[in-house]
Amino acid sequence: MIALIAVLHVVSSIQTLGSLAKEVGGDRIEVESLAKGYQDPHFVEAKPNLMLVLNRADLLVYVGLELEIGWLPPLVLGSRNPKIQVGEPGNLDCSQQIPVLDVPTVRVTRAMGDIHPLGNPHYWLPPQNARIIAREIEERLVLLDPDGRAAYQKNLAAFEARVARKEKEWGGIAAKLRGMKIATYHKSWTYLSQWLGMEEIGYVEPKPGIPPDPQHLVRLIAAMKEEGARLLLMENFYNKSVASLVAEKAGAKLLVLPTDVRAEPSITDWVTLVEAVLKQLAAAA
Amino acid sequence: MILLALCLLAQSQADQELQKQLEKAIQADQQQTQQGQPANPPAPPAVTGSTGTVPQTLMRGAQSLNPDISAILDATMGWQRRAPQFLNGDDPNLHGDTAHALGFTAQEVEVAASAVVDPYFKGEVYLTIANLSGLEVEEAFATSTSLPWNLQVKAGSFRSAFGRQNGQHLHVQDFTRRPLINAAFLGDDGLRGPGAQVSWLAPLPFFLTFYAEALSVSNAPASIDGPLPEPVKSFGANVAQRPTLTAEAKFFLPFGEEWSLYGGLNFASGESPGLSVASGGTMGAGRQTQLFGADVYVKWKPANVAQTYGSVAFQAEVVVRHLAAGDGLADDWDGGAYGQAVVQFARRWFVGARGDLIGLPASSVTARTARGAVDLTFQGSEFMRIRAYAELEKGNISFADQSVGMLLPAVQPSWAPALFFQLEISIGAHGAHPF
Repeated sequence: MIALIAVLHVVSSIQTLGSLAKEVGGDRIEVESLAKGYQDPHFVEAKPNLMLVLNRADLLVYVGLELEIGWLPPLVLGSRNPKIQVGEPGNLDCSQQIPVLDVPTVRVTRAMGDIHPLGNPHYWLPPQNARIIAREIEERLVLLDPDGRAAYQKNLAAFEARVARKEKEWGGIAAKLRGMKIATYHKSWTYLSQWLGMEEIGYVEPKPGIPPDPQHLVRLIAAMKEEGARLLLMENFYNKSVASLVAEKAGAKLLVLPTDVRAEPSITDWVTLVEAVLKQLAAAA
Repeated sequence: MILLALCLLAQSQADQELQKQLEKAIQADQQQTQQGQPANPPAPPAVTGSTGTVPQTLMRGAQSLNPDISAILDATMGWQRRAPQFLNGDDPNLHGDTAHALGFTAQEVEVAASAVVDPYFKGEVYLTIANLSGLEVEEAFATSTSLPWNLQVKAGSFRSAFGRQNGQHLHVQDFTRRPLINAAFLGDDGLRGPGAQVSWLAPLPFFLTFYAEALSVSNAPASIDGPLPEPVKSFGANVAQRPTLTAEAKFFLPFGEEWSLYGGLNFASGESPGLSVASGGTMGAGRQTQLFGADVYVKWKPANVAQTYGSVAFQAEVVVRHLAAGDGLADDWDGGAYGQAVVQFARRWFVGARGDLIGLPASSVTARTARGAVDLTFQGSEFMRIRAYAELEKGNISFADQSVGMLLPAVQPSWAPALFFQLEISIGAHGAHPF
């Protein structure tokens, strides 16, 4: 039976999590996202109108691992919504079950740049992580709306089946990319690289969040040439002036890629997001 | 469109400069290699981390229940022709009085701790040592997280929601010194103190929040002896019987993704401690005082930096004060305002200008004073900034107008230029700031 009126109002920090929630929640939920798909999720401005969005939420889903630490906490506090405060069932940190990469193994300091002490939070592209997120959301939706259990389980199963089909479909592209050496702008492609077997040989940012100096870029360009890295990956919300210069000098191609749903109008859900990334990688490989 | 064009122009120049630097660095590198010298070592990894995965349970098990703790230092050096007449508690204090001063100060050391208390409250504590003199509680309060009907309660000692700058700590300010209206009408340390606040988020399609506060503000009568008379405080007399009461409304309207309008209307009521006179008594003590204020903040910032790192923020506040007749002084009105613009013209660079005017109208206890200030800020990282700040203040503007019946002596010298260089660093985990 299809619910005519949504039972739960879900708010996500980034669009992709909202899209995954919609896959599982279907018609029983309505979804709003705080960040635009073409915004840097580290630096969303904590505009007060976003408190209003959160004020109406039954469930807040967010990336966690301190990705949104610079803007989400004051919004949640200002929302005056008891349901979504930390520790409440309406507050879901989607990183809880994710096998986190880049967890610092030494004592972290800000001398390492603007790093994430809990590990790399850019985890939502690989299929295995999308499945984990969808399952976490399904469990939480069932907790908040037990009457929808059957619908949520059915939707989750359908999503997992779709992901499995897509994984097979993407197998050819993944094989083509395996072993490819790449450079990236920010250290945010680790999970994709691990999934596809690509090797990251350097980064435009000398340290996360720190602008590069010419000496660092010279070393990066030399390394890219020496290692044969022909691609430089960068999110579409960064300024490409430095990256395009590096790509040009290294004889590589700069790929400006989406990392979130609605980064471009044609990217409407997690599948089209991953597909857009893979197609561009395959075309450039 | 003009803003975007200017920012794109600045971006284009920055790009050209980087290209030149990179060409030079590549050339130098090639020359080194040709001469048989070792080339640059390979780029280090961007972060030291695990190559595999770490089970979440281990990581989370290592967490403690310690609050987020941070410390922020504003180290300042400067020169001034004379000490400021309207000196805020967290302004750089070079002393010197009427003589010029040149030197250093630790303008402020702030130590902050914050954490969720329990399922019902969040707690925040901000200790401050301004100019290395005395440890103060700038704020220490609990904020409710679980009240129904869009209500929120804040209790402890805190900065009032009156206006925009009053609620902000020094490191959130865009300039080295606070606006003149702060010390002139709100208090040396702004309008803050032990008290309680109730706020309500209206269930409307746009953001509108109402605040009501009661604060036990305590201030001494102003000393007006000498050539640098202190500003007469609006509130703080009769602290045992008369809390200072405030009411504020704040609204926010986004215009597209790039433009934001944040504004407020503010009211406060209390009793002025007046001023001390040479004979040892006071004048104007216990006068009923009301402050009426309005503030506006307009910001232009694109949703991302793909086209430009540029942004522009305008901010203005106006305060009008009514001092009722009492303790030898007649009914009086005075007020003031400031307006400022801050432009981010490159990834790490900001330039700002601010104009202040108080004594508009002038009263028997507030002379007209004007100040202009400019600053240039380099933000090295999210945790460090360096600022150059220059100001020129002109006091005594209303002394030619005999109608105001000025009680205060003229500030000497009336022209007061000052120049400051400020280094600000933040260590530890400091909570995010509101818009």
